[in-house]
Amino acid sequence: MKNLIVIVAVILALLIAACATPTPTPVPPTKAPAPTQAPAPTAAPAQPTKAPEPTKAAEPAKPTEAPKPAAFDWKQFSGQTLTLYLPQHPWTNAIQPLFPDFEKQTGIKLEVQTFAEAQLRDKVLIALQAKSSEFDFWMSLKSREGLKYYRAGYYEILDKYLSDPKLTPPEYNVKDFAAGPFGGEKFDNKLTGIPIIIEGPVIFYRKDLFDAAKISFPKKIEDIETAAAACMKANPGITGVTLRGDPNAIAYTFGPFLRAFGVNYRDANGKSQLSSPNGLKAVEYYAKLASQYGPPGVVTYSFAQSSALFGGGNACMEIESSNELSTIVDPKSSKVVGKVGVMPYPPGPGGDVPTVLQWGVSINANSKKKEAAWLFAVWATSQEMQAKLHLKGIASPRLSAWDTPEWKAQLAGDPLRAEWAAAVKHVSEKGSGEVGPPAIEQPTVRKIMGDAIDAVILGQKSAADAMKAADAEIDKLAH
Amino acid sequence: MGVQAKPIPRSKPRERWLSTTDRLAPVLMMAPAAIFTVLMIGFPFVYAGYLSLHKITLGSPDPAVFIGLDNFAKAMGDPIFWTAVRVNLALYAVGLILELVLGTYIGILLGQPLRGIAIARVLAIFPAVIPSVAVGLVFAQMFDPAQGLFNFVLRALGQRPQAWLASPTTVLQSILIVEVWQWTPFIALIIMGAMQTLPTEPYEAARIDGASGLQILRYLTLPMLRPAIVVAAMLRTVDLMRIFDSIYIMTQGGPINSSMSLNVYAFTQGFLFSQFGYSSAIMLVLLALTVIASATLGAARRRSGV
Repeated sequence: MKNLIVIVAVILALLIAACATPTPTPVPPTKAPAPTQAPAPTAAPAQPTKAPEPTKAAEPAKPTEAPKPAAFDWKQFSGQTLTLYLPQHPWTNAIQPLFPDFEKQTGIKLEVQTFAEAQLRDKVLIALQAKSSEFDFWMSLKSREGLKYYRAGYYEILDKYLSDPKLTPPEYNVKDFAAGPFGGEKFDNKLTGIPIIIEGPVIFYRKDLFDAAKISFPKKIEDIETAAAACMKANPGITGVTLRGDPNAIAYTFGPFLRAFGVNYRDANGKSQLSSPNGLKAVEYYAKLASQYGPPGVVTYSFAQSSALFGGGNACMEIESSNELSTIVDPKSSKVVGKVGVMPYPPGPGGDVPTVLQWGVSINANSKKKEAAWLFAVWATSQEMQAKLHLKGIASPRLSAWDTPEWKAQLAGDPLRAEWAAAVKHVSEKGSGEVGPPAIEQPTVRKIMGDAIDAVILGQKSAADAMKAADAEIDKLAH
Repeated sequence: MGVQAKPIPRSKPRERWLSTTDRLAPVLMMAPAAIFTVLMIGFPFVYAGYLSLHKITLGSPDPAVFIGLDNFAKAMGDPIFWTAVRVNLALYAVGLILELVLGTYIGILLGQPLRGIAIARVLAIFPAVIPSVAVGLVFAQMFDPAQGLFNFVLRALGQRPQAWLASPTTVLQSILIVEVWQWTPFIALIIMGAMQTLPTEPYEAARIDGASGLQILRYLTLPMLRPAIVVAAMLRTVDLMRIFDSIYIMTQGGPINSSMSLNVYAFTQGFLFSQFGYSSAIMLVLLALTVIASATLGAARRRSGV
């Protein structure tokens, strides 16, 4: 009997313990905040919140006070741990090996979690919505989510950090950033992030095939079709031009066509312009390129499919992001190494306005370690760092990175890279930041437009019918 | 109190304590599992119900607004929602029939004591144990109209290449190929297990009576396998109704929503378009459809007495 009672008691105790496991979860949190919270929120905010006021007043005098900048304290947040959420992206790959340098320089520890881009977006949005401080710093695509996140108050506004000499070293030189990408990080003139990389859709083409068939370089947007036709005629079985058809992704390569025909996504009154006469011309032309000169199954194509096709030697031209260069000429998988050229979109009857987009790094407004996160942003986007990354192929939003002797030396020995650099520069100088129709819910308007263009590509609807319906839907959405 | 008054000499309090423990023990032992189940199933369900009655845009500063059944009304007037219902029902009906017929056939075959069957059994299980995401990624590459394996083979055989996932007219067939390839072995496995538990006597009797192989299959094997087939059908019903991973990986519901299932549509509305209220309403409709389909099968099962 006694034994039985003991056994029952033990089982009960175990069950209660098991049952209680959901509740002990507070244990890790209490453990975690203990080291981080203690130094961070108590010590850190106390100083900086007080500090900005006197320093702001003293700011104009800053340039004359030479000794102060020299004393910039990189160690001021030593001992803190920052959590970074980053996408699998060329910038991440290029900078991550340098993180130990930052840890050594500042005494701040970095915990990095990388995700596929779409997963990162889901995870970050849920955390931001929950006002969670589980991460401090992330990479955000402002052209897609910027306006929405800004209105929701998810971004820490960075202007006050930038103007605080205690937090920003004088050599940071913020004026060095190109106006387009830096402006793309601002909403209502408030800075929500710092740009780290610029890109834009450009045209990759097969130099060898163009030369062999004596195809002339497209000088006007209409020439893309002529060149594709000539190349397909000379090389039976090849795809003339591969471009995006995936409805969620199409806006990126389609936008420059729309503007080349002289139309913006929305007119001055905010009305969607896809079904305007010139808008229809752009849609019809894009759909014609895709359906007659594009790959079969183009409506599923995004960058991965297009680059695989072009890199495999099966297409004359590829319209894709400038970032795809490294994939296209990756010696491990490419059959076109040494045969590729790059050019910007040629101008159309309505002008020459390609698309430029920048990725930026931002700080979670609910982070408990904002100052330390800012210090990391400063380190990661400094003139020196961006020049270094630029040499690794990360097109820098800083003008100075395009001007260093190392960069010029790299271009001199590499005609492909020189062409690529010229195309990206063209994009950054002339490009519009409107990737899709302006709207708070970017993914929704892009999908509406993408589905409508796909219906034209597949011949299910006329451009006029499809675009009229799309315009009506887009006009219903706030922007 | 009356119990206390009774003059029974042995240690009553202890016995009473024991009997209370005896009565309480099962409850206490069940409690963790019961509480866990209620929390894990009940909470999401109730929360989805709450969300479905509100307009909630993730990432919007606006608070959730109670809108009653507007999300459901919106679904009724949403052509893509009805496309998704059709896609769901089509994939369910055709997929289930194909998988059951092929799965039963292969299962009976694998249940035979043939030479080398052990190797075949192991090989047959492979598709079902590969994660759907991996299956989707590999098939998406093989289906690629320009660079994929299937069109390569078709061309080599002198046939016209197909658009596969890239055309609204062939996308559902292509998804069905993947589903059937992946899940038929699962049914075959259940049938094979059932085959091995069948009694041998009826077969001996049938053979003595001169029954043909086809008659044995029709009047002996299939009726005896019916409980297993119904179980397999019920399991697949739930999975086919909530089909998500293969579609999401391969087409994300495209081209032009022609392979949009309810689950993928709810995900798109929720995570791509941030409309969590509408997304939850769609999920609840899907839940209702799944329950109806399972209940119909369950009723059929009870009626046929298996």
